[in-house]
Amino acid sequence: MALIAVAVAIWSATRTYQARREAYGASARVELTERQAKAAEARTLALTEEIRQLARKRIPAAATALSHRSAPVPGLREASGIEGDAARLLTEAVQAARTAVLEERGRVDAAARSAMRGTSAKIQSLLNQSQHLLHELQHEYDDPRILQLDFRNELALRRTQATAVLCDAWPGLARQNSSLVEVVLGAQSRVPGYERIKVANHLRQERLALVARAAEPLAIALAELLANATAYSHPDTEVPVTVQQTAGRGALILVDDAGIGMDDDALERARTLLAGPSEVLLTELGDPPQTGFAVVGRLIARYGFSCHIESSPYGGMRAMLRIPAHLLTVIDDDRTLSVLAPKPVRALPTEAADAAPGAAVEPAAPAPEAVEPAAPAPEAVEPAVPGPAGTAGASDSASGEAAPPAGLPTRRRRSRRAASPEAPADRRRTAEEEPGLRTPERAGAAWAALQQGTLSGRNAPATPPQAPQESPSDDQGDDET
Amino acid sequence: MTPGPGRRLIPAYLVTGGRSAPTGPALDRLAVLLRTDSALGPETGSEQRRLCELLEPGALTVVECAAHLELPVSATVFLATDLVAAGHLHARPPIPSAGEIDRSLVERLLVGLRSLH
Repeated sequence: MALIAVAVAIWSATRTYQARREAYGASARVELTERQAKAAEARTLALTEEIRQLARKRIPAAATALSHRSAPVPGLREASGIEGDAARLLTEAVQAARTAVLEERGRVDAAARSAMRGTSAKIQSLLNQSQHLLHELQHEYDDPRILQLDFRNELALRRTQATAVLCDAWPGLARQNSSLVEVVLGAQSRVPGYERIKVANHLRQERLALVARAAEPLAIALAELLANATAYSHPDTEVPVTVQQTAGRGALILVDDAGIGMDDDALERARTLLAGPSEVLLTELGDPPQTGFAVVGRLIARYGFSCHIESSPYGGMRAMLRIPAHLLTVIDDDRTLSVLAPKPVRALPTEAADAAPGAAVEPAAPAPEAVEPAAPAPEAVEPAVPGPAGTAGASDSASGEAAPPAGLPTRRRRSRRAASPEAPADRRRTAEEEPGLRTPERAGAAWAALQQGTLSGRNAPATPPQAPQESPSDDQGDDET
Repeated sequence: MTPGPGRRLIPAYLVTGGRSAPTGPALDRLAVLLRTDSALGPETGSEQRRLCELLEPGALTVVECAAHLELPVSATVFLATDLVAAGHLHARPPIPSAGEIDRSLVERLLVGLRSLH
């Protein structure tokens, strides 16, 4: 009995002990669970904070940073107990949002460019038509306001064309091979304040030209550089432009201005654009959009010339447009250059020295001088001017280079008569007659000869007419009878 | 300067140097230009030089110069007035077209000539 009681006592003691142990364990578990729940709650709170940060700060900031490079993009919050995985996923969300914004921006920009391309192509063709009409009007009416109108039209055309180029359009014009100096003048004419631009021609070959496909793109690019130079310099200063040939058979166009220059940020941005990036977004050009360097950059990327900008010795900026040899050629001799094209600087004195002492510089009395060089030294004149005016004397050889094309009305008898040089004797005769056109004695003699001939014809019809008027030329007679 | 298939490269208004009207008295398109004996300075533009060379052999009207230079008359007037102002050219107003001849004057002249015999 006692044994049973002891056993029961032990059992109950054991139960009690177990129960106590269980109770203790349970309370410990509860505590743990409570702590875990608290930790989970804290983590959820932190995660929610992070997501709030993501939605309200990080993604908008990342989107802003796409257009404003200097804008800060916040990361994870400092006090967060977010472990690796969640943090990585949150950052990925920012990346995904960035990519989506970029793609959408690309699409929107492409749509905007395409719309502008269409519009500018239409405007460009209309402006080209009005240019044709203005050209016709200029030759019909003498009102100088038509010239001004033409200039305004050209300015509008340049803006439209630049916009079109920026929107990836083809420059929209096929040209023939065009003289480099003429292309430079063409670019000059498209810029407000063009009268301040002074072109100096330092080419060794006067007829150096651009190949057809590069002519118009270069004119557009140079016009933008010139527009920058004139817009950012004082209206009283000049903008010197130098055209020269480089050692490597290329050409170089320097545009200097005495303007305000550029700060480092702007310079770096401009150099990035001038490096010819594959894509330029309209949204990156600022407001109002600054298109100049962007347009040049687009053309550089497509046509293979290059441009560099640096500080100019004139105080402002210097833009250097380098044209590689494969874009250059030489135009034929039969194409006359425009009268407006400046002659090469080096050619001017040599030409004057070649032709005659007084031809271009001192045209005071060319008639008597013309007699000497024409007869004894025709070979000195001929290499300089292979044209028909080669034998006609000093003043003609200087001007013969740009002699008017045949067919226009002309009163100049010398160059026409000189077109048929046959023998030295003829040349001498030509040369001797020239002054006769001018001096009253000669004219008097010719009239006297005519009178005498008429008189002798009337008086003695039987006798053969003496012909003292043999030496005056045929067309002199033609004119007079 | 000729309106080719594409867009012309060098427009005539470059000659004006940004001015809206020529400086000096207006020139008629038939005004006659004559070269004077003055020497051209080294800074003379190529188009002005060319115009002076055109007038070397003798006088031409403005419209003829324009045709030779392949410029419109309005642009040539700018060039010519500049050169006139600088003393390199003389401009002469156009000769007015002949009016009706006074018949009595001619008759008197005829009588006079006959009486010489």
